[in-house]
Amino acid sequence: MSAADFLNLFIAAVLLAGVYAAMSVGMTIIYGVMKIVNLAHAGFLMLGAYFVFEAYDRFKIDPLLGVLLAFPVFFLIGMGVHWLLVRRIATSDQPTLTSLLLLFGVWLVLQNLGYLIWGNSDRAILTPRTLSSFELGPISFPTVRLTVFVVAVASLVGLEFVLHKTWFGRSVRALMQNKEAGQIVGVNVQRTAQIAFGVGIAFAGAAGGLLAMLYSFNPDFGASFQLRAFVIIVLGGLESFGGVAIGSLILALAETFVILILPASYQPAIAFSLLVVALIVLPEGIAGLWNKRRRWA
Amino acid sequence: MEQEAPVGVKAGGDSGSTFVSRFVPAVVPLLLLACLAALPLMGPGPNIIRLLFVTLTWVTASVGWNLIGGFAGQISFGFAVFYGLGAYTTALSLNSGIPPVMAFSFGAAVAAVASLLIGLPTFRLKGPYFAIATIGVSEAVRVVMMNVPFTGGASGYRIIEKTRFVQSQHYNTALILAALAVGISILVRRSKLGLALVAIREDQDAASDLGVNPFIAKLVVHALAAALAGAAGGVYARYSLFIDPDGVFAFRNGIAILLMPIIGGVGTIWGPVIGAFVYGLIHEEVVANFPQAHLLIFGSLLILIILFEPGGLVGLFRKFMRSLRARSSVGSHS
Amino acid sequence: MAPILKLKSLTRYFAGLAAVKDVSFEIEPGGLVGLIGPNGAGKTTLLSLVAGSLKPTSGKIEFEGRNLAGAKSFQAVRAGVARTHQIPKPFKTMTVHENVEVGLRFGRQGGAASPAKKAEEFLEMVGITHLALRPALLLSVGDLKRLELARALAARPTLLLCDEICSGLTETESALILRLLCDIRRAGTTILYVEHNLRAIMSICDPVIVMNYGQKLAEGPPGTVQNDPSVIEAYIGKKAKL
Repeated sequence: MSAADFLNLFIAAVLLAGVYAAMSVGMTIIYGVMKIVNLAHAGFLMLGAYFVFEAYDRFKIDPLLGVLLAFPVFFLIGMGVHWLLVRRIATSDQPTLTSLLLLFGVWLVLQNLGYLIWGNSDRAILTPRTLSSFELGPISFPTVRLTVFVVAVASLVGLEFVLHKTWFGRSVRALMQNKEAGQIVGVNVQRTAQIAFGVGIAFAGAAGGLLAMLYSFNPDFGASFQLRAFVIIVLGGLESFGGVAIGSLILALAETFVILILPASYQPAIAFSLLVVALIVLPEGIAGLWNKRRRWA
Repeated sequence: MEQEAPVGVKAGGDSGSTFVSRFVPAVVPLLLLACLAALPLMGPGPNIIRLLFVTLTWVTASVGWNLIGGFAGQISFGFAVFYGLGAYTTALSLNSGIPPVMAFSFGAAVAAVASLLIGLPTFRLKGPYFAIATIGVSEAVRVVMMNVPFTGGASGYRIIEKTRFVQSQHYNTALILAALAVGISILVRRSKLGLALVAIREDQDAASDLGVNPFIAKLVVHALAAALAGAAGGVYARYSLFIDPDGVFAFRNGIAILLMPIIGGVGTIWGPVIGAFVYGLIHEEVVANFPQAHLLIFGSLLILIILFEPGGLVGLFRKFMRSLRARSSVGSHS
Repeated sequence: MAPILKLKSLTRYFAGLAAVKDVSFEIEPGGLVGLIGPNGAGKTTLLSLVAGSLKPTSGKIEFEGRNLAGAKSFQAVRAGVARTHQIPKPFKTMTVHENVEVGLRFGRQGGAASPAKKAEEFLEMVGITHLALRPALLLSVGDLKRLELARALAARPTLLLCDEICSGLTETESALILRLLCDIRRAGTTILYVEHNLRAIMSICDPVIVMNYGQKLAEGPPGTVQNDPSVIEAYIGKKAKL
């Protein structure tokens, strides 16, 4: 394999990693603040995809704009779901079975809604951007991947800004580290939780839109990406944003380069196998290893 | 006003058990069993028998799941893997000329061995990681089975049955297996292992601090649970004569196996049984009349149960009985 | 007589911070040893290390001549060590009686002749017989503490590790528990007792070990220890009048 080919694959993996990170960060926020594993994440990925699709198909809104619109729309949806359902169950410092099952139920409902509204068939978002590619010397990659990557990274940078420079962000980080201490210091747990949930869903919806620009989709769409999000979070640790970046990169690299060895039909198994191996070897993710050296266990 | 005791706990405030309250729980299930056993002789249509057959296989899988998920509190989302392994092992055995009961046993055994392989690395994981891992394993096996040519891959695998199809035979097998499953469940719950499992569920560290070996306990009950799910898969496979990875290993099956005990009352003896019957009936009705709304109904049901009555139908029943008792003891102080 | 428990340079780090540092002491069989120290001194960590709930970073734990360092807590129980928890960890959906049964059936020489009957004995020892059929989640903190003790005793340990067993109890209840500890000790169980209530410790324990910042500060009979200047300094602002 030539250096140019290798570089192409590598860059493709990096671009993919960016989107994967945007896709997974929503779960990290929700888990970090509320210790809830959002099994409905897949459903919101799917809804985000259809949202951007409909915006483009019916209203001729450019998908990138659609993704940007998805942020506020899904933020509100997320806050709504929290107000309606999530705030009614008890949360604790340990992830609970009830939250797991509740969000699982939400996922089932969302999936079915998807089928009812849009039917079974695959859709895709095709814009002039989809078919063009960007050349830089020996490297070429599809423009759409580049634009999606840029938006993903921009949104992650935006999130970092919010987490470090705003009151809300500080509350989130405080609660992620120690819920009780946060409460004592004056953080409004319920409000922060609701906003955090909204942000998490916002990222899910927007990421769904980004993914829809790259892949075709149907109502089942969320499931395989949800599993990838799990892998990323397990690799990176459920509570670490840096971990999400590392995990995304590892998964994207694995998926991109493994095509050289195994037939394509095995590809879904990559995520699963990586997940299982990661869980065996790193029960607390890569970030867990790092944290053991820094934090009070 | 006295706080309610949660599901699984006998409320300590009664004025002692009466003859009725001890007689009924023993006799009612036996009566039910007798009715179910006699059913084929009363000549209902083959559709009803088929529906009950499928429901009874669900009962077995559901009761099995409840051993590890309900008693021990280890929520597995991936029980489809045991159901599927049982189905395929039984199918392969039947085609090799092995008699049915042995074939089912092989299915159960393979599932049990798989559970050890899966449990050893995954039981060290905390909370959500364990649940996620079970999904991953189940799906990985499904994808692999889709690609393995030996068992037919995605096109599935056919069983060549040499004897004539007698519906009541399948029905009776499922019934016996379901009764066996419930029996095992009762035995486990009343045993030392059962006590250990509940302790582990409540607080694994505290249990260990009192001498309970959580690793062995979880592995043992996981194997039992997997064996039951595997047997259920095997019995189903023999009936349907054709299985494929997207059918038996479907994530949907794992969901169903999880949902049934929750509907009925997770962690109780009869909850999984009731839940399986409810699920079987709803599933039949829903698939017949609203095939498009099937996930919606189950999802909403799950949400409602979680929000309003996590103890499931058994929990509702117990609350009802308690309010009856409270009303009948007007004037007496609890 | 050989010491029943020997700790040699026992150390436990939590990511750069030494919760227990280089602690060594011995306990004679039948002793009732007190362990005191200000908050954060590492007392509970030390108990957890001996009980097997935590693994030491380095150092030795010898129990009845056997090396216990690195053993898991259920293995320690089988060997004869049982503990109570500073913050009670009851099995919430079980009744008080069933909670004790767990200790009874899985503790040392588990599987007593008639478990149900014997569980009542332990409930009576700590004074919560009247709560036998109540679900543990309904108990007050004080009663939960007593349940902790009953449960640990039901595991029939030769070495009992008590963690602040009297906090949350009334004077009368505390007195009952202290008397119980003395009775158990007289019956042959060795006790290592962590407590904040200095009067309680000084009244029944000998020797008393003082810890601060993870290290052993002093060790000796109560009178000597309470007059030790470094001990007094550790408790700055608090003068224990005994």
